[in-house]
Amino acid sequence: MGPLVVNGIISADTNLLMAFLIGIGFGFVLEGSGFSSSRKLAGVFYGYDTVVLKVFFTAAITAMVGLLFMSLFGWIDLDLVYINPTYLPSAIAGGVIMGVGFIMGGFCPGTSFCGLAIGKIDAMLFVAGLFVGVLIFTEGYPLWEEFYKSGFKGIPKLSESLGLSDGLLAFGVIVVALGMFYVGEWTEKRFPRKEY
Amino acid sequence: MNSRTIFSLVFIGLGLIIAAIPQNTTHPYKISAEDLLIEANSRTQYFSPEELAVLLINKDPSIQMIDVRDPEEYEKYSLPNAINIPLSSLLTDEWVDFIDQDVKMNIFYSNGSLKANEAWLITRQLGYENNYVLEGGLNYWAEAILNPEAPASTSPNEEFAKYDFRKGASMALGGGALTSSSSSSSAAKPKITPRAKKKRAAGGC
Repeated sequence: MGPLVVNGIISADTNLLMAFLIGIGFGFVLEGSGFSSSRKLAGVFYGYDTVVLKVFFTAAITAMVGLLFMSLFGWIDLDLVYINPTYLPSAIAGGVIMGVGFIMGGFCPGTSFCGLAIGKIDAMLFVAGLFVGVLIFTEGYPLWEEFYKSGFKGIPKLSESLGLSDGLLAFGVIVVALGMFYVGEWTEKRFPRKEY
Repeated sequence: MNSRTIFSLVFIGLGLIIAAIPQNTTHPYKISAEDLLIEANSRTQYFSPEELAVLLINKDPSIQMIDVRDPEEYEKYSLPNAINIPLSSLLTDEWVDFIDQDVKMNIFYSNGSLKANEAWLITRQLGYENNYVLEGGLNYWAEAILNPEAPASTSPNEEFAKYDFRKGASMALGGGALTSSSSSSSAAKPKITPRAKKKRAAGGC
């Protein structure tokens, strides 16, 4: 049956509408979890607040388990689900840039728009910076095109690289995530910081 | 129990289930129409008569000829070691293990290439691999391999080389048989051993 849009069950426009609704839900949960405060995101790196880690890993394992079960029931063909192709050097460089931006700005792209929506000035500056970055990347594209496209690895899956079944890897990820949650709670007690 | 413990236990339980259950590898729609069009246009599914002749003469064990015509036509004439899967029964349980496998190269053929191409399209749409089509079908096969026509004396050398090859292949594969019209020309039909059914998590949930 799924993916709905690939198999022509819904049109691309309906797909966008669903994305819009899901996006609103996503923003609602982000704001509700307090992610529009930059202290929350920075807290992950200093250990006093690991809510971000918990929320995103919960989302990841929920989606993972959901997709695997839906595939099991024949509701979705996982081979048709788009997976980002891996370009190793640019993925590492991008990860570093994003990580530094996280710590410095206290927002990730999603939460910065959450902050913007409730009128935070630092979020507005962050979004402006985001657009400057986009502009630099696109205008300077010929300069880094070669690097950007180097080290193409296809679309490797962790389970395939490790020679495990998807289900076994999923179980491993769940165990690691739960372990991380408990470690996170421990660091919150270990490195407390007063919210203000 | 607090909610965290419940949450953890639920996820560990679900994880255990998903880890223990074999993956669902059925693909109801493996190939999109666009991809199929590209593949059909690239003509990679075709075996030319010459390529096939070489394989047949060498008795290459990696190919399986599949005659998709009606049984009567198959009885009259068929290629060496071909099995008969009429197009209408292509998807029956009896044959699915022949067309959905990754051991041999199946080569479909019919009189022209239309029926064989239909068979190829259907199997490809289902995501089956290793299925091919004899280009031009039996008509072209008879014309090119079994009763090759000598090229004009002014033809380039390549044409003569091709003709020599075809004549050789014709002799090796019992050419000329077609001209003696429809007497049972093909040798003993291969025995079809029904294959053990692959276990699949069949529907019914």
